[in-house]
Amino acid sequence: MSFTLLAQSTIGGVLLGGIYGLLALGLSLSWGLLRLVNLSHFALAFLAAYVGYGLGTRFGWPIWMSGLAILPAFFLIGIALHAVFVRFKVGEFASMLVTFGLTVLIESFIQWVWSADYLKYETGYTQDTLRLGSLYIPLLELVAFGFAVALALGAWLGLNRTMLGKALRAAAQDGPVAAAFGINAAGLSYLLAGLCAASAGVAGVFIALTSTLAPSQIEAWIGVIFAVVIIGGLANPLGALAAGVLVGVSEAVTMALVNPAWAPLVAFSILIALLLWKPRWL
Amino acid sequence: MLLEVRNLQVKYGDAPAIWDATLAVGAGRIVSVVGPNGAGKSTLINAIAGLLRPSRGEILIDGVDTARVPAYRVCDHGVAIVPEGRRLFTQMTVMDNLELGSYRAGAQASRAEALNEVFSLFPVLKERSNQVSGSMSGGQQQMVAIGRALMARPRLLLMDEPSLGLSPAVVEDMFRIIRAINERGVAVLLVEQNITKALELAHHAYVIEDGRIVTAGDPALLLNDPQIREAYLGV
Repeated sequence: MSFTLLAQSTIGGVLLGGIYGLLALGLSLSWGLLRLVNLSHFALAFLAAYVGYGLGTRFGWPIWMSGLAILPAFFLIGIALHAVFVRFKVGEFASMLVTFGLTVLIESFIQWVWSADYLKYETGYTQDTLRLGSLYIPLLELVAFGFAVALALGAWLGLNRTMLGKALRAAAQDGPVAAAFGINAAGLSYLLAGLCAASAGVAGVFIALTSTLAPSQIEAWIGVIFAVVIIGGLANPLGALAAGVLVGVSEAVTMALVNPAWAPLVAFSILIALLLWKPRWL
Repeated sequence: MLLEVRNLQVKYGDAPAIWDATLAVGAGRIVSVVGPNGAGKSTLINAIAGLLRPSRGEILIDGVDTARVPAYRVCDHGVAIVPEGRRLFTQMTVMDNLELGSYRAGAQASRAEALNEVFSLFPVLKERSNQVSGSMSGGQQQMVAIGRALMARPRLLLMDEPSLGLSPAVVEDMFRIIRAINERGVAVLLVEQNITKALELAHHAYVIEDGRIVTAGDPALLLNDPQIREAYLGV
């Protein structure tokens, strides 16, 4: 076991954790503040990934341009979906069933348009890396990590330093009292739902750039991201990112030190350990 | 009349908690609603604040029926509530709670002024403005709850059991503060189980039982009427 191997897998884990954090952010906020467990968050992210892939491979759009198109489009999709949830009074438990159904729909749609085959979005910079002594840092994943940090920080500042964010948190804790002070929780929830879907769009763009796409991959992310969301604490953007990095690094180090097959065990082992230990920040 | 409640009925599911309540609060007055536990006092206050929506009747504030406006618009008509059990935003700081009190558009402009007023009334809140509100003592949390309501710059302050769970010394303070708030021109509708205190403080009082207003009048007379004391007040 060399230091280089350990350091290299740690880097890989941190960067993977960025993607985890990016995906976990929207789920954590919508669960914690809207009381909606939005399973379709993963499907939306993959839809964005495929749209980015499609725009890039079929129309030759550079990825930043696809990203700029996906962001507002997904913001609107989030609002439209939320309108449906509100219309049918979807609660916390029902939201899991409804969004699972939605996931199946989106998955079928993706399969219909792009087939069930594995696709890899190759760009001129896919293989670009930074060299740090004997270590390599994949550039795209580093950029993804930068976005994950920026979005988590932005969400944290939004929730803790702006009146709108504080109002959202207040409404999540005690809706009727928040309303009695003039907080229009329904209106704010549309804004948040739109932002969560837009964050799924961002995550999707980076999934397209960094992993292999297949419709069946949607489910593969659900388990580990759920663990990340719960470890990070609901509605806690920085926690979600930290938990993403914790799980990412643990997985990568397990793969390098023990056995790649054990990696999927890691996220849930950490989750169970933390749930038993019950630290104050959880 | 600042507040006029007419033939109000409020239900939980199918069961009315308020059958038929009619009452009024004039500008700048203190009005107490007293009655036994479960009589519907909290329901009445919560309905006026918009926390609950009535199934029948009118809640007129300066003649505008606020039972028909969205819950988050009720405060624009000049009402603010100190709810039973305080119901602070417990994970947020004292300052956050106070700021959220002045969330409504009409109160934002005068936030600094309102904050000064709240801090002059409760100096301890200024010292502790960065403390997480849920970690404070009961009495201090009650101050935050009152401060939050005052930040909304109400003309009518609705107070639901402000003395509940507080030590006797703090209860004295609380009633002194209610009087001080009233002397600044804010009308108070007070619901209390501490009947003697509530009646001593009020200009006018209603007695509520089983969701109905059973009698009303001068608080001193109610307090001294043996029949009423026996039948409704249990004091």
